[in-house]
Amino acid sequence: MNISYKRASAIFVKDYKEFSRNYALSIMLLFPILFAVLFKSAGASLPGAAGFLFNSSFVLLTCFAQACLIAEEKERNTLRTLMLTPATTMDVLMGKSSLVFVMSTVVLAISTLLFGYEPANIGVFVAAIVLSIVLYTAAGTICGLYSKTLLDASLSIIPVAFIFMGAPWGAVLAKDYPVFGVLDYMPSSQLVHLLNLSPAGYSAGEVWPPLLIIAAWTAVLTLVSVVLYQKRLRDE
Amino acid sequence: MAVIQVEQVRKTFGARDALTEVSFSIPKGEIFGFLGPSGAGKTTLIKILTAQLKPTGGVAKVFDQPAEAMQQSAQKMRFGILTDNSGLYERLSIEENLELYRKLYDLPRSAVEQVLQFVNLSSERKKKTNTLSKGMRQRVMLACAIIHEPELLFLDEPTSALDPVNSAHIYKGLRYLNEKGTTIFITTHDMAEAELLCNRVAILYQGRIQTIGSPRELKRQHRENLIRVELTSGEAYELPVDGDTADRIADWMKRGLIERVETKEPSLGDIFIKMTGSELL
Repeated sequence: MNISYKRASAIFVKDYKEFSRNYALSIMLLFPILFAVLFKSAGASLPGAAGFLFNSSFVLLTCFAQACLIAEEKERNTLRTLMLTPATTMDVLMGKSSLVFVMSTVVLAISTLLFGYEPANIGVFVAAIVLSIVLYTAAGTICGLYSKTLLDASLSIIPVAFIFMGAPWGAVLAKDYPVFGVLDYMPSSQLVHLLNLSPAGYSAGEVWPPLLIIAAWTAVLTLVSVVLYQKRLRDE
Repeated sequence: MAVIQVEQVRKTFGARDALTEVSFSIPKGEIFGFLGPSGAGKTTLIKILTAQLKPTGGVAKVFDQPAEAMQQSAQKMRFGILTDNSGLYERLSIEENLELYRKLYDLPRSAVEQVLQFVNLSSERKKKTNTLSKGMRQRVMLACAIIHEPELLFLDEPTSALDPVNSAHIYKGLRYLNEKGTTIFITTHDMAEAELLCNRVAILYQGRIQTIGSPRELKRQHRENLIRVELTSGEAYELPVDGDTADRIADWMKRGLIERVETKEPSLGDIFIKMTGSELL
């Protein structure tokens, strides 16, 4: 898979201009910041606030923005036109994902500061956030590729939001209903485990399994999004 | 050298045959018209030739390589495509849309200015594409398709729904490109357009090529051997092409009685109706 920096950056710049002029979509940047301010004022008494802040930001910003960017291109037939230019699959996916990656990183950094979250280990925190951004970007790409219109994309986010944002809460029920134990393997649940590492001390066993599970989800969803994109290069 | 070579190509969608044993080749520098009513299979063939669709059978080659290879970046540099489905980025200006294509094809900055002049949109460059008329949008999409001066240009009904002025502007541009060496594959159901532009045409109906040749050849093949003569008195005769007719015309000419003489040659539209038995759109 060869990537042309020039082509990927051309797609990035184009997406940036389109995004910045699309107020219905760019307003989504404010939600994580708004949540951070609200949760901050609620104070440390709000359990699970950090997990909800990050997981909801990934779904409402990263996944939603990516799905809308892809679906809008499909709706207007510009994605097929783009596919017929020399831009490779990786050029298009990297170009389109870079904008969402940069936006998510900046907005989450601001939200983290406003919320006042202090990670137990900055390296682990950054790795988990970066992997999650890639993961939710891939999930957004899949939603966008399955949608025919922007409206479809908006609706396709609902199950993603329900499953990924709800998983950490559902996993709590595993004591009474063991079947819910499977929700603990969702990346959002694993992220909550990492966010809850104690600053006083933690073992490697508390860090590596969650990170590896998130990495596995990221690899699988990224692979699926690339394969699906390549399938969309062709008609049936 | 044939730029496009199609041998016994078939394409089926479920039980429906979209293309049935289609064969032809297009040499370099030709403007080839693929004519047919809507749903005849014209777009299907363009999709096969640009690797958007796999044929069910047969061989489709472009630049002497299987059409599959058209997915490679190096091959994509060699062709341009304009379809009625081509899209523009609505929130970007004409110039910003073209700038994207310039970068994707790795062209110098001057390419945007050149192509804007080519489609006569230099003064409109800052306009957002969502404010453009249908004719202007079509010209911008053509500009995107030809900004890299492709060796091969696929045009799928490029002037559908355009007014005559915009169509004439596009024809002029296409002839200029062709003179510079671009081979053009154009699908249309506008027979006048085909007659005006194409070196050769194929008429496709229900997935099969019914006839193929230059418009002049086709007209010759399908003409009725009759000459229509109108006299100054207002009388009109349709006469067979033979010696007696020649003598009669010579006699009328000597006496200054002839107003108009014309051969009864069918138009491409007449041939199309004859071949397909269908009405033109």
